[in-house]
Amino acid sequence: MSLDPQELEDLTSKIGRKPSSTELQIVAAEWSEHCSYKSSKKHLKILPMDGPLVISEKGYDSGVLDVGDGYVVTAHIESHNHPSAVEPYGGAATGVGGVVRDILSAGTRPIAIFDGLRFGDIEKDRHARWLFKNAVSGIADYGNCLGIPTIGGEVEFDKCYTNYALVDVASVGFGKKENLVKNHANKGDLVVLLGGFTGRDGIGGSQFASDSLESEDRSAVQIPDPFIEKLIIEAILEARNQNLINAMKDLGGGGLSCAVSETADALSIGIEMDVDKVHTRESGMHPDEIMVSESQERMLLITNKTKLKKLQEICKKFRITCSVIGYVTSDSMMHVKKGKKTLANLPTDVVANANLLDRPSKKPAYLETIQKEKKLKPIPDYSKMMMKFLSSPNIASKIWVYGQYDHEVGIRTVVKPGNDASVLRLDNGKFLSVKIDGNPKQCYINPREGAIGCFEEACRNVVCTGAKPIGMLDHLQFGNPENPEIFWTFLESLQGLTDFAKFFKIPCVGGKVSLYNETPSGPIKPTPLVGVLGLIDEKPQMPQQIMNDDILVIIGNTKDEMGGSEYFEYIHKFIGGKCPVVDFAESKKNMNAVLSIIQKGLLKNVHDCSKGGLAVAISELCMINDIGCDVLLEKVPGEELDVDHVLFSETHSRYLLVLKQDNLKKLNAFLKKNKVSFNQIGKFDGRQIRFNKNSKNIIDLRVDKAQKTWINSLRELVVHG
Amino acid sequence: MATYDVHVIIENKPGISDPEGETILNDLVLKGTHSTVSKIKTAKMLKFTIKEKDKKTAQNKICEICDELRIYNPMVSKVSISVIEN
Repeated sequence: MSLDPQELEDLTSKIGRKPSSTELQIVAAEWSEHCSYKSSKKHLKILPMDGPLVISEKGYDSGVLDVGDGYVVTAHIESHNHPSAVEPYGGAATGVGGVVRDILSAGTRPIAIFDGLRFGDIEKDRHARWLFKNAVSGIADYGNCLGIPTIGGEVEFDKCYTNYALVDVASVGFGKKENLVKNHANKGDLVVLLGGFTGRDGIGGSQFASDSLESEDRSAVQIPDPFIEKLIIEAILEARNQNLINAMKDLGGGGLSCAVSETADALSIGIEMDVDKVHTRESGMHPDEIMVSESQERMLLITNKTKLKKLQEICKKFRITCSVIGYVTSDSMMHVKKGKKTLANLPTDVVANANLLDRPSKKPAYLETIQKEKKLKPIPDYSKMMMKFLSSPNIASKIWVYGQYDHEVGIRTVVKPGNDASVLRLDNGKFLSVKIDGNPKQCYINPREGAIGCFEEACRNVVCTGAKPIGMLDHLQFGNPENPEIFWTFLESLQGLTDFAKFFKIPCVGGKVSLYNETPSGPIKPTPLVGVLGLIDEKPQMPQQIMNDDILVIIGNTKDEMGGSEYFEYIHKFIGGKCPVVDFAESKKNMNAVLSIIQKGLLKNVHDCSKGGLAVAISELCMINDIGCDVLLEKVPGEELDVDHVLFSETHSRYLLVLKQDNLKKLNAFLKKNKVSFNQIGKFDGRQIRFNKNSKNIIDLRVDKAQKTWINSLRELVVHG
Repeated sequence: MATYDVHVIIENKPGISDPEGETILNDLVLKGTHSTVSKIKTAKMLKFTIKEKDKKTAQNKICEICDELRIYNPMVSKVSISVIEN
């Protein structure tokens, strides 16, 4: 753990002397990419962060949105990729813990967890299966012990994550606006460290996350303890209710070093602290270790002398340890002592603000030829191929994963996992819909359009529940930013997200950048992940049982956009082709149309068309509802395409609507009036899923057989390999 | 060939927290009158029975199995192995 020579020189000239060893440790933790965002911070400013519902306050670790009637929703996203790649159970679990504390530190109760998981090819790679299985257990055990439902997410497998793992966790909180912690501090206020003991685990974690895995010594593992976290949540919320907290921050990457310096910098104060006052798990810890330890389940609070006693009583009641480790000063210095001896005395703005970098970028050479399509091998039997496709790890039902998560606890979950997006009931009678989406396959082919596609997909998913998007979270995961080609893909994805957010007026309320995601065989594919929060004022679109004679309608054109599709990559083992491009105007028109139709109560079911294309989306409706369907592919609106493209192209802005025959007239009239591209493409009936083109049958599957394969294949693969 | 019982104990490395052990200590043992206890560590034990030509081979074989099949994670856990001849 060290600074590079240039940074050491900067630090020396800024403080006008040689830094002490403790100072070096503190600054190395805080100036790591993980904590300082030194490569990305300059560029992130282009994202729109303001909106009518956004509440911003200094020092918040999560985004805050006003949902009316005096209530707020908070949201944050984080990843725990490096720790999960070496210890999937603990890494994933502590990832949940970290993001939950971010929600807590605004003064809101965490009400839901989401996770996005990515691993190597689990069909062939035993190690990838081991990572997958244990990361899922880690999330399940931690979330379930906390009593917070895990209600959504996504799972994807791609060779580019071989010997690695992407574990992204998002959390949503809810509370009263008046209870938000308004971070402030006065001279003489007390600095309190609350929660778990500080130990030698996770030392150097943030530095570790900023190096590629190959070069580090793999020692920074953290052990999760959800029961302490649960006690912390309850203790903090009680302290919040009694107005005992002036300011608060959770301890994450960089441990005390980052929490103390960032809090002091955000509030324009100084903090003097004594390492001897920190409650440690073992005796004889070096002060430097105490300052950078990333032991889990700890919170930093600022309170004052009169409030301290009540705070201590609450901690005693919940049996968690709290120590007064220092006090607030007015000199904007971070002063770390051991007893009377000074170990570090640094200006907080120097510690908390690393020199931002302007990294060079260059368009990667591979992009010149990647969009060229090769001639596909003819498929002798589409029905057989379709069965194989439905059982492939990326297409198969993820019930093995979300079935391990308690998604009901808290009794807010109105629309449950397994649908496009889950929906939570809020106390003011409104509903919140949240979804996270990523698509590295498309982002690899076109980082800008791919990122926009993830954003649109997340929007589509919440729109399918009847929710209007009100905010987004972005999580930008890339390889080593020192490589100009990788940095170019980062900038492109960021620009794409910014364009979409501005056009749709969806503010970015939080995010994270994770760089240096490198595996032994190279960088990961660009993996931006987008979370979208949607608000439903009245009632959500509840999925209803589809019956015989119900009608299937598609909204949106299907285009020749098969690049990065599951069909190309899984069936034809081909990486390349034309990446789907979102037409902003069409996207908006279709989104608004779907929201209006849902409000009119015309629909039984709404499903978005994404991974696996039309063929998979329709099959999913059939399998979930245990009913057959006759689909006429010649009726699908859009350009003239061959069967493969109509079935499997992953064009955005498409929605499948299911309705009773009686409502068809009204629907037609509305869509025509609004000039939305749509058509009736099928009718539900019987026990066979049939795709026909011009009276010729292309695919014919028995629903029960398809269902069995789709639901069980992922579990079979994990359990029996 | 002789038969050996090989005991494999898997526990968290020293310095890494052990929430289960700490909970048993603080919320069970120390809640009673057993104030002389100062530490509890949890561990998992696997008892293998194996036929090999000698003690050393038996130990090495079990070691190999545990490593290869990821019976424990070397990042987190410490493993101790003892062999008893039947």
